[in-house]
Amino acid sequence: MRSILLVLGKDLRLLRRSPLLLGVLLAYPLVIAGLVGLVAGYANAKPRVALVDEDGLPPLVTVGGHTFPVARTIDQVSRNVRLVRLSPERAARELETGKVVATITVPPGFVARLEGMVQSPSLVLRTTRGGLAPRVTQQVQALVYSLNRQLQRAYIEANLRYVRLILKGGDGTFLGRRFEVLGLERTQRLLEELPRGRRLDRIREFVRTARLALAQTSGALRATANPIELEQAPDVGRTWALSAQVQAYALALTISFLALLLSSGALAAERDENVIGRLARGLVTLGQLVWAKVALAATVAVALGLAIALAFGAIIELGDVVGGEPWARLPLVAVSLALAGGALGALGALLGALAREGRAASLVAVLVVLPVVFLGLVPAEVAPLAGLVSDALPFAHAVRLFGAALYDASPWAAMARESAWLLALGGIFGLLARIGMRRLTA
Amino acid sequence: MSVGHPLLAARGAGRRFGARTALEPTDLELWAGEIVALVGANGAGKSTLLGLLAGALPPSFGAVVRAEGVRVGWVPQRSAHYGRLSALENLELFARLEREPEPGDAARRLLERFELPAERRPTSGLSVGNRQRLDLAIALLGRPRVLLLDEPTASLDAARRHDLWETMAQVRDAGGAVCFATQNADEVERLADRVGVLRDGRLGAETPPA
Repeated sequence: MRSILLVLGKDLRLLRRSPLLLGVLLAYPLVIAGLVGLVAGYANAKPRVALVDEDGLPPLVTVGGHTFPVARTIDQVSRNVRLVRLSPERAARELETGKVVATITVPPGFVARLEGMVQSPSLVLRTTRGGLAPRVTQQVQALVYSLNRQLQRAYIEANLRYVRLILKGGDGTFLGRRFEVLGLERTQRLLEELPRGRRLDRIREFVRTARLALAQTSGALRATANPIELEQAPDVGRTWALSAQVQAYALALTISFLALLLSSGALAAERDENVIGRLARGLVTLGQLVWAKVALAATVAVALGLAIALAFGAIIELGDVVGGEPWARLPLVAVSLALAGGALGALGALLGALAREGRAASLVAVLVVLPVVFLGLVPAEVAPLAGLVSDALPFAHAVRLFGAALYDASPWAAMARESAWLLALGGIFGLLARIGMRRLTA
Repeated sequence: MSVGHPLLAARGAGRRFGARTALEPTDLELWAGEIVALVGANGAGKSTLLGLLAGALPPSFGAVVRAEGVRVGWVPQRSAHYGRLSALENLELFARLEREPEPGDAARRLLERFELPAERRPTSGLSVGNRQRLDLAIALLGRPRVLLLDEPTASLDAARRHDLWETMAQVRDAGGAVCFATQNADEVERLADRVGVLRDGRLGAETPPA
């Protein structure tokens, strides 16, 4: 143990003298994380959808007495797609070549049916196969839902005008024909003026009941249109950038780069300095040398990981987001960082032992760390094989461990499971590195 | 001279690197109060034999036997210390690893004795001769009774070479043993009590110096 600490102290001293290297090691994963974020953002960009207007949509459409400016209405409801007006031929060609991911066709007679309010008009959706098609279908369904929501009000208002006409009486129009309605209220008043009688009383009772029932029509119609209303509360959660998942990924990504590169480079450097033979003469065993590099990775992971967690916490405080600040969880985070840093450091030591030479070790570590990280980002449900491979590497376990340590209400079960994984993986990679060290003495 | 046990002995020790045998099974004993020279062409196996005796290389066959309590100092042909640490930091680190009772004092004593630069300059910036003397200083940490030197005077000027010869004689006179590899006949004649000639990984008959 004394020998491990002496070698660790030497490595930390060398690291302290290389602030540029440390800065690069810290900045590089953050740049990668930013690029990944940009790619993810691009994936959320609005897909291009063609609007084919075969009906010649007018600037204004009147439905149930409500007038809708067509262009503005479509703009309002198409926030998730970029609608471009195209001719039928061009839309078909662009759909075939994939320049648009879908076409929405407004067929002839659409506006007439809409304004007639008797038959529902249809929009025709065509999409490409696979890829973004399911997402675009959902977005167009959402677009039609939003249009329907706006039109529903007009439909309900129109229907309610008829109901009010039946209740109060007066002049009305239907399918362009004018008519006069007596109305239930006036009918009731006329009935009151007539003498009492069994048959008239039954009519009076019907009119009274009908008035009461029709008075409830407004609420009933709105409830029929929307059996369940979705009420959106004001935003209180964290922004995406400050979410627990992003924080856990950022920590794991940074620690992976640091631990892999540091331990692989530091172990290979012992050979470059030609000191392995001197150390192996009973001063430091090859196994102790491996564990010294694992300890180096764990120590740096704890120091820099806590700094990152504190920076996140400060940003969360400044952003006035309440709940989930890391202050109370710092001891758990520190333990998690040590375990993840150690396991990743053991993997790095294995790379350092196999690469034999410092520059080659760093290059191999960079080449290895990216697939390790990206495998951990692929959901196991999407690619089960990626999930299995990822389980045999420390990154995904580190992400889950950080997530549990930072935000789980009851983190113990998840922490115990992921800690056991990391300890086991660290032990296996450490033993393999020790075996690989034979190459360094050859 | 051959009464009792040798301080350090190779018993049929040899070494393979992959398919290549660098040193055939070799017997060599180092006794108290003697200096043994190893001579031979480049690639003959001198460095491999010294590495095996030092414990820096595990033997592929045979064994290296060290008398109880005997410490061994080793100066390899190529520098073996941390280039980004200063000479003093290197000496302090290895003094602690050698479990010197007062590592700081031992490091400073050797720094002065070998006239190494005291400032915190990385040793990678030192001259080859200074780096070789630092390796010798590190080898003397822990007060070894056996000193193994691989072409130790190759980069030293005349004055430093004489200092080194004096150090080797001091170890021998104090009841220790020295084994060194060299290409310098004058060095062999001046210092060696016995000479081992290595050719193609085989140690030939040991002879007294000419």
